[in-house]
Amino acid sequence: MERPTIDGEIRNERGKNAARRARAAGRVPGVLYGAGGGTLALSLDPRQLIAALRTHGHNTIFDLRLKDGDSSPAMMVESQFEPVKGKLLHVDLKRIAMDRRLRVSVPVIVAGDAKGVKTQGGLMEVVLREVELECLPSDIPDQITVAVDDLELNQAVRISDLQNIIGEKAQLVGDPQAVVCHVVTPKAEIAAATEIVAEAPVEPEVIKKGKGAEEGAEAAEAGEKPEKKK
Amino acid sequence: MLMPKKVKHRKQHRGRRNGKAWRGSELKFGEFGLKVLEPAWITDRQIEASRVAMTRSIKRGGKIWIRLFPDKPITKKPAETRMGKGKGAPEGWVAVVRPGKILFEMEGVSEEIARQAMALAQHKLPAKTKFVSRAGAMLP
Repeated sequence: MERPTIDGEIRNERGKNAARRARAAGRVPGVLYGAGGGTLALSLDPRQLIAALRTHGHNTIFDLRLKDGDSSPAMMVESQFEPVKGKLLHVDLKRIAMDRRLRVSVPVIVAGDAKGVKTQGGLMEVVLREVELECLPSDIPDQITVAVDDLELNQAVRISDLQNIIGEKAQLVGDPQAVVCHVVTPKAEIAAATEIVAEAPVEPEVIKKGKGAEEGAEAAEAGEKPEKKK
Repeated sequence: MLMPKKVKHRKQHRGRRNGKAWRGSELKFGEFGLKVLEPAWITDRQIEASRVAMTRSIKRGGKIWIRLFPDKPITKKPAETRMGKGKGAPEGWVAVVRPGKILFEMEGVSEEIARQAMALAQHKLPAKTKFVSRAGAMLP
């Protein structure tokens, strides 16, 4: 697969003011490090970066081309977003040595309708949406697709079950017994709101400092009463 | 109704609601969520009403996570009371939310059902909210 190319410019100015100016000019501030090289402050075109990551997944290795002609394989390892509008604020890029194994998080996609959900009234719960694995940069899968059609009630897919899907080239990291997804029995609805509203409001216990356990309990009782001030 | 088990002080100052929710602003558990777009105090009753509306809407099909907790006591003076004579009595609990905070998450249902359930919850809340999903995230 051909690597996408992303253009970067070296930022000479540092700090929040310069970063804000870069964002106002339609760029995203970022930083490049790793693989024995120095740290460089960069600015990138967010549309180019997002398009590349949307097409190939968030572990995409791309050629980062700088204005001075330098080009090196890199990947995004960290991103920051504005919480309301979701605008990309900052990215951390890491230089990738193509001959060295690295650890990456790969998304797990649960495909199909489990038997336990369709016929036994269970609920499919996805516990891990990403798993960590170790492999060469060229062997990073875009995603791991788990077929759950045969999964029955109270059965689970564990990390160790994914090794067959990803093959020999990549090694899963972490507890092999950790649950990726399972079919659970849905819990009954908690008492209706009308019943709860009817209950008298209770004040919580007030923690008093510098007292023993017994005194603390007494204080808690006292705390429930409204304080009187002269 | 949600409320703390223990508190350090019975009454609190009103505080400020400036800024954005830099934490708790991404989906962590479910496939779909409800994100608040303006600062607000959300009461324990509003949270409970939203939860019940969503749970009844999705029936037994999915799972709901509540990502906010009403840990701030609110006081109120009795009616027709003169000003002064100290702060009023604790009356309820609120969760302070800032724009960007994910209030609820949902999983195990289709997007259409999740949207319907979240719409019911939106009507119970005192602030503008929007439906968010993992599929609609900016980056994969």
